[in-house]
Amino acid sequence: MKVLLPFHLNKVGAGFPSPATDYVEDDINLNAHLIKNIPSTFLIRVQGKSMNKVGVHNDDLLIVDRSLNPKNFSTVIANVNEELVVKTFIKENNQSFLTSGSKEIKDKINLTENLEIVIWGVVTYVIHAV
Amino acid sequence: MSFMLYNNKIALVDCNSFYVSCERLFNPSINKKPVVVLSSNDGCVISRSTEAKILGIKMGEPYFKVKKIVKENDVKTFSTNFSLYGDISRRVMKTLKQFSPQMEIYSIDEAFLDLSSLKNENLLEHGYKIRETVLKWTGIPTSIGIATTKTLSKAANYIAKKEKSGVINLINSKKIDNLLSGIKINEVWGVGRQLTKFYIKNGINTAYDLKNIHNSWIKKNTSVFGSRTAMELRGLSCVSLEPREEKRKNCSVSRSFGRKVTTLDELSEAITTHCLNAAEKIRLDGQTVKKITVYIRTSPFQIKNNYYANSKDIDLPIRTNDSIMLIKQALDGLKIIYKKGYRYQKTGIVFSGLKNADTYNKNLFSEVNNDEKRIKLMKAIDHTNIKYGRNALSVAQARLKKEWNIKKQHDSKIDTSCFDFLPTVKIA
Repeated sequence: MKVLLPFHLNKVGAGFPSPATDYVEDDINLNAHLIKNIPSTFLIRVQGKSMNKVGVHNDDLLIVDRSLNPKNFSTVIANVNEELVVKTFIKENNQSFLTSGSKEIKDKINLTENLEIVIWGVVTYVIHAV
Repeated sequence: MSFMLYNNKIALVDCNSFYVSCERLFNPSINKKPVVVLSSNDGCVISRSTEAKILGIKMGEPYFKVKKIVKENDVKTFSTNFSLYGDISRRVMKTLKQFSPQMEIYSIDEAFLDLSSLKNENLLEHGYKIRETVLKWTGIPTSIGIATTKTLSKAANYIAKKEKSGVINLINSKKIDNLLSGIKINEVWGVGRQLTKFYIKNGINTAYDLKNIHNSWIKKNTSVFGSRTAMELRGLSCVSLEPREEKRKNCSVSRSFGRKVTTLDELSEAITTHCLNAAEKIRLDGQTVKKITVYIRTSPFQIKNNYYANSKDIDLPIRTNDSIMLIKQALDGLKIIYKKGYRYQKTGIVFSGLKNADTYNKNLFSEVNNDEKRIKLMKAIDHTNIKYGRNALSVAQARLKKEWNIKKQHDSKIDTSCFDFLPTVKIA
């Protein structure tokens, strides 16, 4: 287990102590900020094309939480045709769809009609190198 | 025995075909196909999907024996990927922990949960909730058996798996005797191979038979463990939950060779590597070794007069966790049991009598040598290897080539806890 030690700002000296020493600084911890539910959160790398409209690019890292249920316009990982792919989840007139971010009708997969398609997890953050 | 306590409520949660389920998590194309996972060096079948079980592939069967079935039915085979299984296991256990703080992790894919605070009528529903949550969060399907003792919860789990019902609660169940008579004696928790033979000889063929055997007979004819199992089957809790993670009492490393090995040189190389791996593990746990066992054997399927197996125990005068000391002793042992002219298939070592390193360590025969330097050296090796990967720093005896080790031909190469091997998704 990793233990993060508190980081003290000042040495103890003889003079007037810095008023800031009461505020013990923790190292900044990106995990704690980006991962709400540790056992259900996975890091997954994007391979291949980019999905520019959604802001997902080749080689990005996705933080995916399996415990969440998708909301309208959630970016999700889904099992489509025996493959894990990135999609956008859309709700319309009580029906759910997956799209690749385009507005073309043929791009829409109706989840109510394709019960074999399952949502694998919901993408919560995209880590993109610039 | 009407005075027994029936207040305990214990659930055994067991992951279904755990290693296969881990492989399926990031590879949905094998979801409905027969899948097996093979042990290190692709030796034996150690996990099977339901589809593979139906094809008649048995647990523990050597790979070469099932190769024909595998080819004819397009069975997907995987080499073990223990860093992936370890990470998924930790996730499953963390998920389970929220359902009961009183929990005993029994193995990589099993845990006992104490649910005594719940009302009996809510147990089944709670079981389904646990199952659903583990599946959603981690993607791993489980089966759950609930009962008043650990042995009965194991039995309940066995039935849940067999009936594919997912959750079975045996507490106050009227069907309990009926169900226990459907469980063969060798399937009962704590009944090993020897005891099975003995019980069957005495007409005890099922869990139900053992439950109803007279106490005095059991006490007279078996060990204390025998009567414990019988009492647990009657609902009297004798084996309590052990929530603390106990340190290991021994540590073994073995490997089947990728090809048959004949020379002492190559065997020494393998033994050295095993010692290094095991020594690193026990140092991480802050333990020292009292006894080393070295063993070698040819394939048990070898024609009779070509079969050879032997082992040697070495009692160390002073406990140690120094790789170099341990290797030296193990190789001395190997030289004693090695015989020329055999084609060896497997070799391994067991470190036993493990204790905390801080236990008093010196005796009359201790040398006042460079102990401290050695401890520092071992620390340096461990740190380097943690940082740069196992075997970054090793001893020359272990060599670099490891020709005997052709492992992992079917590795999925996914590791959810390592940046270099993360699972991938496509944009379609």
